[in-house]
Amino acid sequence: MRRYQTVRTLVIQLLNTALLLLLSSPLQAQTAREIIDRVDRLLRGESSRGQITMEITTEHWSRSLDMEVWSLGVEHSLVRVQSPAREEGTATLKAGQEVWNYLPRVDRTIKVPPSLMMGSWMGSHFTNDDLVKESRIVDDYDFEISFEGEREGVEVWEFQLTPRPEAPVVWGRIEEQVRKADLMPTWIRYYDEDGDLVRTLTFSGYRTMGGRLVPASMLVTPADKPEEQTVLTYHELDFDISVDESFFSLRNLRARR
Amino acid sequence: MAHDRLWWRVAWRNLWRNRLRTLITASGLAFGYLGAVLMVGLSDGMLVELIENGTRLMLGEVQVHSEDYLPERNMHRTIGGYEGTDLEIFLNQISSQEDVTAAAPRAYGGGLLSSGEETQAALLMGIDPDREPHVTTLLSRVVRGRPLVTGANEILVGDEMAEQLGSVLGDEIVVVAPSSDGSMGNDLFTLVGTFDTGIPAIDQNYGLLALSDLQFLMAMDPARIHEVAITVGNAQDSPRIAETLREFLSDTELPVQVSSWTDLRPELAEMVSLMNAFHFIVVIIIFGMAAFGVANTMLIGTFERRREFAVVRALGTAPIGIGQTVVYEGIVLGMISLVAGSLITWPILVWLHNSPIDLTQVTSGFSVGGAQWRPVLRVEYSIESPIVAGLGLFLTSILAAVYPAWKATRVLPADALADR
Repeated sequence: MRRYQTVRTLVIQLLNTALLLLLSSPLQAQTAREIIDRVDRLLRGESSRGQITMEITTEHWSRSLDMEVWSLGVEHSLVRVQSPAREEGTATLKAGQEVWNYLPRVDRTIKVPPSLMMGSWMGSHFTNDDLVKESRIVDDYDFEISFEGEREGVEVWEFQLTPRPEAPVVWGRIEEQVRKADLMPTWIRYYDEDGDLVRTLTFSGYRTMGGRLVPASMLVTPADKPEEQTVLTYHELDFDISVDESFFSLRNLRARR
Repeated sequence: MAHDRLWWRVAWRNLWRNRLRTLITASGLAFGYLGAVLMVGLSDGMLVELIENGTRLMLGEVQVHSEDYLPERNMHRTIGGYEGTDLEIFLNQISSQEDVTAAAPRAYGGGLLSSGEETQAALLMGIDPDREPHVTTLLSRVVRGRPLVTGANEILVGDEMAEQLGSVLGDEIVVVAPSSDGSMGNDLFTLVGTFDTGIPAIDQNYGLLALSDLQFLMAMDPARIHEVAITVGNAQDSPRIAETLREFLSDTELPVQVSSWTDLRPELAEMVSLMNAFHFIVVIIIFGMAAFGVANTMLIGTFERRREFAVVRALGTAPIGIGQTVVYEGIVLGMISLVAGSLITWPILVWLHNSPIDLTQVTSGFSVGGAQWRPVLRVEYSIESPIVAGLGLFLTSILAAVYPAWKATRVLPADALADR
């Protein structure tokens, strides 16, 4: 009797272990995906309105743009330039996979053609594609924790994002570091298909805006031109504002405030 | 000398003993001559057309850029740096050069053309509507509408671009281009014409604007240009002329790069040298065939005359004299063929030059290195190729006579007379 019990315990133990083994790997993958997803949601909210300054420095010129930004979910956003005066009213609308620009000087809206999606957005080191692709990161990539532990005295996760086989993406690989304590991203590195670093996104100025902790400043540096950069700084940020999809229309893109 | 003249006479008479055979051989050689000259003329015509389409259409034969402009074509790398250079002075300096026929300034930009719902990425090329026609034929390819007028915000696009945009003449086209100050240059332009170069890469992608309009759109000073396109007297001399210009411009202390079309379109230059080599092969094949024909005739001719040679030898003639008369026969035959060949070749050459064979029905042509070749077989004449071919024909007939001549000297009188 006693002997049978031992065997039974053993079997149950084995089964448990097997179950654990079976579950553990998808569980981990799930976790990586969940963390990225949570980071994403934290920064975005269901809807938002913000006031930003974009400072672009290149080898040949530098300029600063003040802009107002609205977003709804991951599918919609609208950016309108407020200064300099020469470009006031210039606006970009993202609706789903499409990007439209409004040019006040000629009073026309122009859809960015697919061939120029990798082109610079407003002369910055962001591409038009960056506006669109953001929404698909969870669908297009596989996630994996490549490092977990302390970096420079801070507990972090580091994720490696590899594009899924059929995903229509331009990067060969993305690496992202996230602080464990507050789920704040510290940097994202974009690599091309040959595994070479293309650009780095660095976050800083973590502060509470609109009731949430966010990195108020984002810095893009292209790897091939280290002296060039684009800095995006939030001055104001409100979440869960009252906008609906109709706000993100071509008609509203044209509307001058 | 009198002796020599006798051998010439013997050669002449021998040739006409079998009139038909001589005429057939001579016409074989004459047609060989026609074939060689025509082949070279045709492929010369093709080359001239390729080079002309490759350079005259858009490229120019020589180009001047800022030394760091190529190959990235960064819009900030203008000639003379950010300050640019005094265009009038610079262009006059270039035009003053010997061999330079004309020079035209250009600026380039990348951007978007938008008309109604349609938007296309485009290469914007700013040209001087007055100077450009002296350098390239681009503006002559405007098939609908008219060329540009400076300062009126006018644009020309390729017919395929116009189709993609769904635009017709008179339509407004929004042109958007990143400016030199980082802003997005944008303005309305009027479509005044469409061009058809036959090269899809150009007809689909290019938008032509007046130079100063493009400079204004891209917030560039009027002194800033990306390129000077130059046309020269003879396209084949371009590398040498580029070298001279390079030395000349190094005195102006502007850091510029001077390239000939052979540097800019190496694949076209390679094509040209390949075809030049091909000429020689064709000529060698044609005359090789002719040589065997002549050798055959002469050889039979000498075999027929074994007994005669034997008699002459028996009468005390030196073997060299017999050899001489056979070679003379070859020379005379060559001369007859050359005269006949020239008489049939020139009219055909002139005719084909003036009314080229049009194969457009059969094939639509091809393009090499951005140079389009229309399937029209125009023959180019040159002084060179008929002379070279004539010389070739002459040498062929002499060489072909050498072996029979040698055989003739080896005739042993006793054996030949005894029919052994």
